[in-house]
Amino acid sequence: MRDWIYCDGDGGDRGLVNRRTALAAGIGAAVWWMGSRTAFAQAALRPDRSDGPVMVVVFLRGGADGLNIVAPYEEENYYRLRPTLAIARPMDRGKPQGERLIDLDGFFGLNPSLAMLEAHFKEGRLGFVHACGSADATRSHFEAMGTMERGAESKPSQQLSGWIARHLNSTPDRRDPMRAVALSSVTPDSLLGNTSALTINNLEDYRLGIEGAHSIRALQALYAPGDDILSVAGRDTISVLDTLKRLDPRKYVPREGATYPDTAFGRSMKQVAFLVKGGFGLEVAALDLGGWDSHVAQGNTSGWLTNLLTELGGAVHAFLHDLGSEARRVSLVVQTEFGRTNEENSGFGTDHGRGGVMLLAGAGVEGGKVHGRWPGLTSVRRGGPGDLDVTTDYRSVLAGLVRNHLGNHNVGDVFPGARLAGSSAVKSG
Amino acid sequence: MKLSRREAIALAGTALVASGCGISEQLQTLVSQPPEPLDRNEEPGARALARAGFGHDPDSLDLVREMGVPAWLRSQTEAPETEPAWLAQRISRLDVVNFSPWELRDWPESAVVAQLQQHSILRALHTPWQLRERMVDFWSNHFNIYAKKGMGAYRKTLDDRTVVRPHVLGKYTDMLQASARSAAMLVYLDQQASTASHPNENYARELLELHSLGVDGGYTQDDVMEVARCFTGWTEERGFLRGKGGFAFDPRLHDDGEKRVLGHVIPAGGGVEDGNRVLAIVAKHPSTAKHVSGKLVRHFVGSGHPAAEEAVREAFVRSGGQTKAMLRALFDRDEFLQGPPILKRPFDFAVSATRALGIKGDGGGDFQQHLAAMGQAPFQWPMPDGYPVEAEAWTGTLLARWNFAQSLAHGRIGGTPEPKLTGTPEEVVSAVLGAPVDAPSCARVTACLGGITDLADAAALALCSPEFQYR
Repeated sequence: MRDWIYCDGDGGDRGLVNRRTALAAGIGAAVWWMGSRTAFAQAALRPDRSDGPVMVVVFLRGGADGLNIVAPYEEENYYRLRPTLAIARPMDRGKPQGERLIDLDGFFGLNPSLAMLEAHFKEGRLGFVHACGSADATRSHFEAMGTMERGAESKPSQQLSGWIARHLNSTPDRRDPMRAVALSSVTPDSLLGNTSALTINNLEDYRLGIEGAHSIRALQALYAPGDDILSVAGRDTISVLDTLKRLDPRKYVPREGATYPDTAFGRSMKQVAFLVKGGFGLEVAALDLGGWDSHVAQGNTSGWLTNLLTELGGAVHAFLHDLGSEARRVSLVVQTEFGRTNEENSGFGTDHGRGGVMLLAGAGVEGGKVHGRWPGLTSVRRGGPGDLDVTTDYRSVLAGLVRNHLGNHNVGDVFPGARLAGSSAVKSG
Repeated sequence: MKLSRREAIALAGTALVASGCGISEQLQTLVSQPPEPLDRNEEPGARALARAGFGHDPDSLDLVREMGVPAWLRSQTEAPETEPAWLAQRISRLDVVNFSPWELRDWPESAVVAQLQQHSILRALHTPWQLRERMVDFWSNHFNIYAKKGMGAYRKTLDDRTVVRPHVLGKYTDMLQASARSAAMLVYLDQQASTASHPNENYARELLELHSLGVDGGYTQDDVMEVARCFTGWTEERGFLRGKGGFAFDPRLHDDGEKRVLGHVIPAGGGVEDGNRVLAIVAKHPSTAKHVSGKLVRHFVGSGHPAAEEAVREAFVRSGGQTKAMLRALFDRDEFLQGPPILKRPFDFAVSATRALGIKGDGGGDFQQHLAAMGQAPFQWPMPDGYPVEAEAWTGTLLARWNFAQSLAHGRIGGTPEPKLTGTPEEVVSAVLGAPVDAPSCARVTACLGGITDLADAAALALCSPEFQYR
């Protein structure tokens, strides 16, 4: 008996078997036929699904120091306020290349730990929005993250559901089992209020507990013939499981030259690329990278912040390269809850601030630029060092991508009350 | 096509032997027949238990058989709050049913949430008062409170036992009034931040939109703001600067001016009476009768039954908002038992699966994790509208249902014993679906099993079937 779920991929004649032949061949073949019809037609090879737009949202938890990621080297205050943490100007011949900023536009320079992203920026695939953030002024991690994940202006307690959940709920026509995936051990707040989004720490955990060829065949048979909403969903789920088994994320080989960092985050980014390329119907992926709360000894071109940036940059670079031509339907957003103080503290670190930097790459993004109105490093907060004013509402960027890239015209439901004037960082239409 | 049990078994046997070559066309047809959830063929007792409660278990099936469906349904509307001795004793070991929010304050939040969930699950699994627990589910979602907002779990323990449970089969107005004095509800909807100078409209809006009139109930934004003014000062009792979980009216925060709500003038100087006036006005509003009765009908039989909705609306009006009267009016309608089945939500699925296998589960952490993976752990819906009822909301997590079914049938859920399965695979399928072995649904599921002989595998697959996902 042919066991379709394990066989794979190359069976070129499958589509040619007609129903009558299959029936004549008996029950095994009939189940195989029903399975193949669904797996074949709906998973990897279902064109309407594998060509859809994708948005990948990475949240840097802890408040990443935007001023040392994309540094305003033309502003003297930067060097004055950060005597030990500031990174040398691009043209500073007193430092080796790896310890100088990489010039982006004559004003901002990229942290040299992110050198792998330089070409993506120069070639227009990647850009930044600076002084970007929310209206939340508590400088509390919890409040600021809650605000952004809920797509609120501030006061997250008044907006209970997450913005990705609202996007999914406002476009209920797409119901693929892998439509929204959080590669995380806990459901992020951005997905609160949607019942179908998947939260899995590792894609390898998306598997059927039912074992044995007989049981699997029985499950297929149970869901094979019905036209009710549940039978259709059952076939979709089976086809995803089948494709996962066939393509197996553990055996996934990225495109030549794409080397992901050997970390949990690197693995997650690789699994997102795998899902995009495998045609699983992925539309939104949410990932986390923690550890950005650099109050002490953050370093400038070496140290743990540098290591984190190397991990982030390495994963983004590998991801963009790995996607290859698929990058045209994938946009990547890297955000953080707030930036950090302009001035370094006595522990050679920085404290919670306001405006931060957002990284954007891929489809729908105006790359090659640092977007946003630069407010300058002059703001002073009563009783403490100043921080960067927020001049771009993070929602204008997300809303622009949700509307223009994901094609959700109900974007007002996703970001209620937001002024949805597009950000220059997002391509129109 | 109809197959007798004997034929189906014989055919299934052939399938095993034939292994794909020259199999009977009859079995072929059976396997490729779509599931017919619309073709109700459970026995009447199982059908009544699935529609009015969380499905059949061996004991409840015996009871309904003995009483007859109409008498059993009627008796269910007279359910007491109490439980049989063993269940009462099991529940009494939970701290959340014994202590006040203030006394629970040193418990970790996660432990309080887990116990709240366990309490709901234990009762739904084991109580003979199945209708009462379904109504607890209904009203807990109608007056939804998110346990993880602002320490809501602690206050929800009190809300569960003083707001929801005492009134689930009683008067709607009583529950509405209790809910308006529930610190859990007031804090969840930011009422503690509502003052004369800055009225917060959150509670006022949800009171009109969700709890009473309904979104198309004929109120305006002005009504929302006026209702918010009426409720200023309705807040949580505090002690040592901390919420104690009780209700308090703080006259210093109250706006004592005149208000106008839904055409009624509420004179100045009413104090706490302003809020009471609003509750009386909305409880009597015709839109409330329509909104609440319609939602109740859709909970039980799904949408598309305007005549049933009208009959139940009339019962609401006639009885002054008695839930018992609404339910009896619904039970008198053919739609109640014979209407097209609707998709079980995950809580219903998990509880009915456990009951169908006759398992005495404890509803503990492991069970709760499965529910969370399926998307419906109790008290975890963040928004005030309660878990969705649309089938579309629940189709993305089928894998989690299948994995739960597999773990359940094989005794791999902590705190939930392994089922004691006896008989043949066909008999196991029949026991799970609550239908005779020769009923079309059982015949189809059995045929799909192919030659599976392991009883736990058969039980798992029957629980996985599309047929079992509907009620």
